[in-house]
Amino acid sequence: MIEFAHVTKKFPTGEIVLDDISFIINPGEFVCLTGKSGVGKTTLGRLLIRDLLPTKGEIKVDGEDLSQMKPRDTPRLRRKIGFVFQDYKIIPDKTVAENITFALEIAGVYPKEIPSRIEKLLKLVDIPSKGNLFPLQLSGGELQRASIARAIAADPPILFADEPTGNLDKETSIEIFNLLKKINEGGTTVIMATHDVTLINVHRARLIHLEKGKIAYDKDNLTAKELEKSAAKDKSNKK
Amino acid sequence: MIQAALKNIRRSPYQAVAAIFVISLTMFIVALFSLVSVASQQILLTFETKPQIIAYLKDGHTTEQVNQLLTQLSTTQGVKRAIYISKQDALELYKKSVGNDPMLLGTVTDWGIVTADILPASVEITAQSPESFTVIAAVLEKSDIVSTTPQGKREIDFPQDVVAELTKWTNAIRIAGLVLVGALILVSIMTIIIIISMKVSGRRLEINTLKLLGAKNFYIIKPYILESVLYGVAGALVGWLLAFIALLYSTPFLSVRIGSVISFPIPFVSLLILLIGMVFFSSALSLFSGLFAAVRFVKRSK
Repeated sequence: MIEFAHVTKKFPTGEIVLDDISFIINPGEFVCLTGKSGVGKTTLGRLLIRDLLPTKGEIKVDGEDLSQMKPRDTPRLRRKIGFVFQDYKIIPDKTVAENITFALEIAGVYPKEIPSRIEKLLKLVDIPSKGNLFPLQLSGGELQRASIARAIAADPPILFADEPTGNLDKETSIEIFNLLKKINEGGTTVIMATHDVTLINVHRARLIHLEKGKIAYDKDNLTAKELEKSAAKDKSNKK
Repeated sequence: MIQAALKNIRRSPYQAVAAIFVISLTMFIVALFSLVSVASQQILLTFETKPQIIAYLKDGHTTEQVNQLLTQLSTTQGVKRAIYISKQDALELYKKSVGNDPMLLGTVTDWGIVTADILPASVEITAQSPESFTVIAAVLEKSDIVSTTPQGKREIDFPQDVVAELTKWTNAIRIAGLVLVGALILVSIMTIIIIISMKVSGRRLEINTLKLLGAKNFYIIKPYILESVLYGVAGALVGWLLAFIALLYSTPFLSVRIGSVISFPIPFVSLLILLIGMVFFSSALSLFSGLFAAVRFVKRSK
């Protein structure tokens, strides 16, 4: 379970990126974190893997308070959370298979098991024949799939995908979205940060929408369109 | 892991060559210095353990007088051993030292055959340390049976000066060697630190990504540590090989000069022990340098 309680993140420049954010994500949930670029979605992800520490508030992953965690325990936390980076962070002079090998080695997978695990992962993300290719030889969609394969290589219980469809065409975006859904069906908690709400128009999911560093809506089992209507209704009721 | 380290080396072969060259040079000097140190120690030991003081006795001395001198010497502080060499013993020692050379045995010399009569009897004293020489010399100076030169000086062979000179030289060689080796070790450490720092810094993206994926620091630095240890091992092997070749070529020269003190050729087992020592020393040196460079960088990255 992931728990954010009154989390504020203020950068040294004085900019408040997240302001008193609270939410709970239960195991196995599929959560879309929406909001415009720069609203704090990536910061939220970085807080989750302890790449940043909150200025105020408490973040708990499986009951463990990240602010109280010793730095030497950070690798253990990060092995629990697969992270799909906005800029992929695929090591350019390593093949796709070598990139995935890193994640498997870090997770302590027995070396003999690694090739078969890579094969399965590449099949799962639908790039079975690309293992020996270098990142430069891949398209954006393939690169994103490779990045997802690396993130889920060690079977983490949580997957945070930061704008996984940001640089992709609509068709590939839908494929990636479906892939994340498929991973979620396997029991992994998936948090997808995206500014592209059109993707969510066809799927129901829990939507956490950020605006100006705060949670504007947190509604379950809605499409983005339904959420918009619901939000408009809420506003008119308040008036 | 070894593959990753070898890949790192292949990626920048010139840096690897530079590192191995500097370490080889250091290890070559270390090997030479070790050999010179051992040899000089051996030479010094030979001089120190030889009958260090020989006092020649006047003809016509009595056994009683000799016993009295020996008793006096044995109670003197710093005397390890004092023995009497009679004229007959002296002849036997002379024969032993010249072998069967008829020329030296005097069969064809103007003196005629060398006999015990023409050789002096003596007392040979082994001191515990060169510091005791003065006290022993004082005892011998006072003895009436020690012969005197025409100039009135007691006939005492006194190698204190030789040992003192030798000790001085040995110490000088040791200090100079240590300074040189120290400087070269420093250069080697700096070279490895610079090379590994450059490599680690060039892999910044990779290291940051690995950290975000949950890699422990040790997993990240392993290939770099192994790489520097490989430099150390290669440097030790090359350095030893150079020293071995140098020793091989200088053996004829050295055996003529110090062959009586050190047996040549040097046993291969001794050289093998030197190699093992060098590999350990060089690996430790490289491990320390590599670790210093890699840990410093990895700790700074998040």
